[in-house]
Amino acid sequence: MSNQVTLTINNQAITVPAGSTIMEAAQKLGVTVPHFCWHPGLSIAGVCRFCMVRVEGMPKLQIACNTPASEGMKVDTVSDDVKDAHKWALEFHLINHPLDCPICDQAGECELQNYYMKVGKYQSQMEDEKVLKPKALDVGDTLVLDTERCILCSRCVRFEDEVTKTSTLGIFNRGDQATIGTYKDKKIKHNYSYNLADICPVGAFTAKDFRFKCRVWFLKETTTVCPGCSTGCNVNLFQNRNQREYYRLKPKHNPDVNGYWMCDTGRTMYEHLNASARIASPLLSAEQVSYSAALKALGDEVQSVSADKLAVVFTAQYTNEEYTAVLQALKKLTGGMPKVFVWRDESEKEDEFDGILMRGDRNPNTRGMNDVLKAEGVKPAILKSDYSSLASSGAELTLVFGPEVESAYPNMAKALSRLAEMKKAVYFGNTLQEPAQKMWLRMPVKVFSEKSGTFVNFNGVAQKLKANAPVFPAVKCVSEYFGQLSSSAQSNV
Amino acid sequence: MAYVNVSRDPERNFKNGYLATSLFGMGTTLVTFAKQVFGLEESATVQWPEVEYQYSERFKGAHFLTKRPDGRVRCTACFLCATNCPAQCITIVAGESPDKGVEKFPARFEIDILRCVFCGYCEEACPVDAIRMGPEYSMAGLAEQKWVYTKDHLLDREAVKRKVADRQVSKKDENTKHDTVESSLPGIHAAHSNSGH
Repeated sequence: MSNQVTLTINNQAITVPAGSTIMEAAQKLGVTVPHFCWHPGLSIAGVCRFCMVRVEGMPKLQIACNTPASEGMKVDTVSDDVKDAHKWALEFHLINHPLDCPICDQAGECELQNYYMKVGKYQSQMEDEKVLKPKALDVGDTLVLDTERCILCSRCVRFEDEVTKTSTLGIFNRGDQATIGTYKDKKIKHNYSYNLADICPVGAFTAKDFRFKCRVWFLKETTTVCPGCSTGCNVNLFQNRNQREYYRLKPKHNPDVNGYWMCDTGRTMYEHLNASARIASPLLSAEQVSYSAALKALGDEVQSVSADKLAVVFTAQYTNEEYTAVLQALKKLTGGMPKVFVWRDESEKEDEFDGILMRGDRNPNTRGMNDVLKAEGVKPAILKSDYSSLASSGAELTLVFGPEVESAYPNMAKALSRLAEMKKAVYFGNTLQEPAQKMWLRMPVKVFSEKSGTFVNFNGVAQKLKANAPVFPAVKCVSEYFGQLSSSAQSNV
Repeated sequence: MAYVNVSRDPERNFKNGYLATSLFGMGTTLVTFAKQVFGLEESATVQWPEVEYQYSERFKGAHFLTKRPDGRVRCTACFLCATNCPAQCITIVAGESPDKGVEKFPARFEIDILRCVFCGYCEEACPVDAIRMGPEYSMAGLAEQKWVYTKDHLLDREAVKRKVADRQVSKKDENTKHDTVESSLPGIHAAHSNSGH
């Protein structure tokens, strides 16, 4: 028996591995079959009865998600009876739905709304009153549950059972009284809870973090890489372009990296991108100066020291291109390789892994940085709790490339005050923390959403970042600063 | 090439001439004047501002926000007016309403009246009859005046109170919400009843 079966969907032939369902074959072919309960990352439930298709030879319509494809099967997804089945299945789902779209955060990306426009458009024939159920329940620190909006697809129940294995949720009661809910005295408490709001096809689970903040149709998405840890999940970053304000991240499917999910820690990675968490101008000896003045001062200082009196402190949160550009520029300006240190947080447990996605190494580009340093022939000294190697290096100028995700560095203030003790310390980063202001020069830099470059994840997968328009147009990334320094030095010569 | 001779008006005659039309116009004026002097016809001129002209109820003047019967703002901060506004003059900041049955309400609702083009799309987009264009048409003011209408101004300004009175209370049916929901589902929601919104 062969491992492949060939079937035809709407008269198009497609070959899939034996055991695949009609839904998977349709997805492969690019035919959309409307569905609510089926999710590629979860097991098959077959409860929504929405993905009806006509299979030749079978007396009734079949659900595509749970019917295995077989050799020579003829499937039809566009015939009139199939369209009719979709239409009335949708009406069944909407019988008790409150239709409170104006106050629902899901409106705009709601599958009920989308399918109503695609396959619904019926005149409701219901005369009975809707069944009312509890609304706006607090089911954990991150989510709000509205049981009236729920269509009982059970995606969330399966997610809790299969992905996080916490089994907090269940469907209780029967018929029109059936309600989604948490078990008694249980709350949704794990690091993957926002995925429930993502996979919910309606607005039953909404994220507290995003609740009432912005309507989704104002948001534009950019596909980029999460800087939260060394896993490097692929994400869609949502920005309101008119307000220049970031609102949220959602996972993007990548079978090689993160699958369908991402963690709650990663979801906070939009907070440091907004103007309120950023600094707009350089600080030279505790005074605000222009970018050109700051760069000139920095250039003069770099050129006046020799390479062995120059220390560079990296964190693993910059792109490969930036590390290369900085080292190349410094080599050119000082005529030798400076002393390189790598700053890691004191409390970091690099090898930790939570079993799903999140890793203890909270820097996105540790592997990429090490690769670049190796290629440049540099052996960096690690600064973790012991800073004596830096203190005894006799550096007259210290360039600190600080982390953009400060939550990855819980002991940052302590480390910063140590670094500020150096003779002339320059800080590249957007921190608002006090000790950074004591340094000789503080330069704002671009964050991950504003630069293009490469992050290499723990597994050696190199992934490109995609640049959005910057929040502060004058702010550049470190490779641009050092590129300017080396080119202006050249023109002086 | 064909051309039209415009040197002489083909309709030129005594009846269309300057003198005849002037006398005809003067006649109309004198007849109307005489009618109004003897009280046979009412004047179309309004003695503004002492007397205010009454536009129809459908006149699209400055906006106001309607209220629920208990006096609170009717708006649920759904952003449909702001989405629909071609001049982008509506700014809304949504917040969690103290009333659990309402859930969402506008913490801020502002209209930049200088940007507004009075198209009425906001009124049309509103699913809950919360924003209306009012009868107020005289909005002249000084440059230093505040031209951004705040939520309080839109809800409670004198001109609206005087002119629309009880029309400011929306009679649209309210959705039945949380307050009336007696959950008889055994043992599920008891855990949430204290901590829920």
